[in-house]
Amino acid sequence: MPDLQHDLLQRLFGRREYGLCLLILLVGAIVSFVDPHFLARDNLRDILVRSAPTAIVACGVMLVVVTGEIDISVGSLLGLLAAVMGIFVSVSQWNWPMWIGLPLTLMIGTGIGFSTGVLVTFGRVPSIIATLGLLTALRGTTTLIMRGENIDGLPDRLQSMTKYGIVGVPLSLWIATVVILFTAVLVKHTSLGRQLFALGSSNYSAEMIGLPSHKLKLFAFAYVGFLTAVATIVDVPRLPKIEAGIGSGFELLVVTCVVVGGVSISGGRGSLVGVLLAVVLLTMIRPVLTFLDVGESGEKWTKAIQGAFIILAVITDSLVSQRLKRVRAVGRSSTATIAEVK
Amino acid sequence: MKHRHEIVLVLLLIALMVSVGWLMPTFVQSRSQLILSKHLWETAILAIGMTLIIITGGIDLSVGSAMGMCAVAFGICYQRTGSIALSSCVCIAVGTLGGATNGWLISRLRVHPLIITLATYAGFRGIAEGVSQGVSYSQFGDAFGRLAGEGPWFGLPIPAYIFIGLAVLTAIVLARTPVGRFIYAMGHNETAAKFSGVPVDGIKSWLYTISGLLAGVATLIYVSRFDSAKADVATGIELDVITAVVIGGTSILGGRGNIVGTCLGLLLIHETKLFVGRYYRVEELKSILVGLLLIGALLSQRLFVLKDRE
Repeated sequence: MPDLQHDLLQRLFGRREYGLCLLILLVGAIVSFVDPHFLARDNLRDILVRSAPTAIVACGVMLVVVTGEIDISVGSLLGLLAAVMGIFVSVSQWNWPMWIGLPLTLMIGTGIGFSTGVLVTFGRVPSIIATLGLLTALRGTTTLIMRGENIDGLPDRLQSMTKYGIVGVPLSLWIATVVILFTAVLVKHTSLGRQLFALGSSNYSAEMIGLPSHKLKLFAFAYVGFLTAVATIVDVPRLPKIEAGIGSGFELLVVTCVVVGGVSISGGRGSLVGVLLAVVLLTMIRPVLTFLDVGESGEKWTKAIQGAFIILAVITDSLVSQRLKRVRAVGRSSTATIAEVK
Repeated sequence: MKHRHEIVLVLLLIALMVSVGWLMPTFVQSRSQLILSKHLWETAILAIGMTLIIITGGIDLSVGSAMGMCAVAFGICYQRTGSIALSSCVCIAVGTLGGATNGWLISRLRVHPLIITLATYAGFRGIAEGVSQGVSYSQFGDAFGRLAGEGPWFGLPIPAYIFIGLAVLTAIVLARTPVGRFIYAMGHNETAAKFSGVPVDGIKSWLYTISGLLAGVATLIYVSRFDSAKADVATGIELDVITAVVIGGTSILGGRGNIVGTCLGLLLIHETKLFVGRYYRVEELKSILVGLLLIGALLSQRLFVLKDRE
């Protein structure tokens, strides 16, 4: 009997995806009851477009968190890369052709991500501190290289691609789909993905069986850097101009999504679907507040709601794991099941 | 050698001041140093709580946001009641409450403090922004403005006395009382400490509560100095605080560190920041520098200092 109870609990609460789905539907239902325009095609599209860059970067940060590390520098990295990209390709700046400027942006992003990885692995600096330092240092660099001015005049082709896109779907959605599919395959069907999870669930045992823990972590951090550059390229040109503060707070949003999506902060557990659902849920906050007609005053609460979501996620996690442990203990005392060993 | 780290810091500080004195003679005069020291005290007061927390192996990222929340509480209370005393109490109470929330969640849920304080880092700032709606409160009167002004002895400002008092008290607690031993023990090995009867959860809750209380005190000084309370006060101050503590030789993994080191670390980044700001006149350099200092300090700590021990 306890086994059955265990099973049911795990199905209902152990899987974060169901909870998130329910929450999204619930919020959607309430808001569209207040204002049916919420379900209009344009609005839903807008939510998707807004969630695209978060989803892209969250794919990377999820892998970092799965290995047991964390990256809170992506907001400043996005800002720096936006400035760099603007300086490279903007008509009013260096006006390089896009086929040079954009790959170079990607390389810089990957390079910075890789260096973060080197600091964390070979430099043995805890990732939270390394990326906290980078969060400030990169933001400072951004304002420094922008010299207090905004950058505008990105090439028209880039702007229209990101705004209107290919066959009416903005570029960011196409790219996000590709990134998500790639990451899903990576996580589920490659040994690299399995090794990342193995590393997170026990660093020590992973090293004992010969997994290259440094290389794996380097890959995860470089992947985050690369994806941040991708997100910059597909999302930033939508904006009328590039400002020095661009992307601030983005790191928090991404980490919130990863945690709310059910990725264990100590590593080793997490699902991509959960993270993506969390991305949608958290991107919905702002439009929902607008539609509930709390107006300007509501938007100021966004950060507070984000914080509350993290705490809520952590509390459910701890409640579920405590409950599961209790049920499991009862199960173990009555019957030793093969499921446990498995 | 027992105090190797502190000696290195003192030497660094002397080297810095000598080279700065050579480049900018006016900068090192005691009068300009006293005037410039007013930028230091909020960070310094927060650093005391942070040192204790980092020694236990935790971290508190939410101190800057807690200050935002305290500032807004102070501003609103003053606007409603017009009483500085009451507003100050409310300000400190809000900080303490915020810290207690951190402490309760961390010790109750057994989640790494990093994630809880990251949540409250967003949450506290969000509450401040939501409640104040971006309004800035000011004009708290001259009497309140004197709180951050000059004190009675040696020309030091009043916050300096608060800091020195707290620092001495904490140093004594850390070095001479059982609670101090418990704090180090928790940082070395929490499980072992717990089985030895150290009230781990209780101490944790208290430390985060104290950190919140100190954020309230720091807010009063900050608001008095600028005569303005807004939701975005002290943004990013947590980085300065953590950097000072880590440069001061407190191990980020816990178990090692002391208040003297933290004071030296504070002085070092304070002088470096001031000098860079004055000499190069580029504000952004400061933040780049602090970020790099933090990473550099940890890099050397992890690569050299801890390797010796292993």
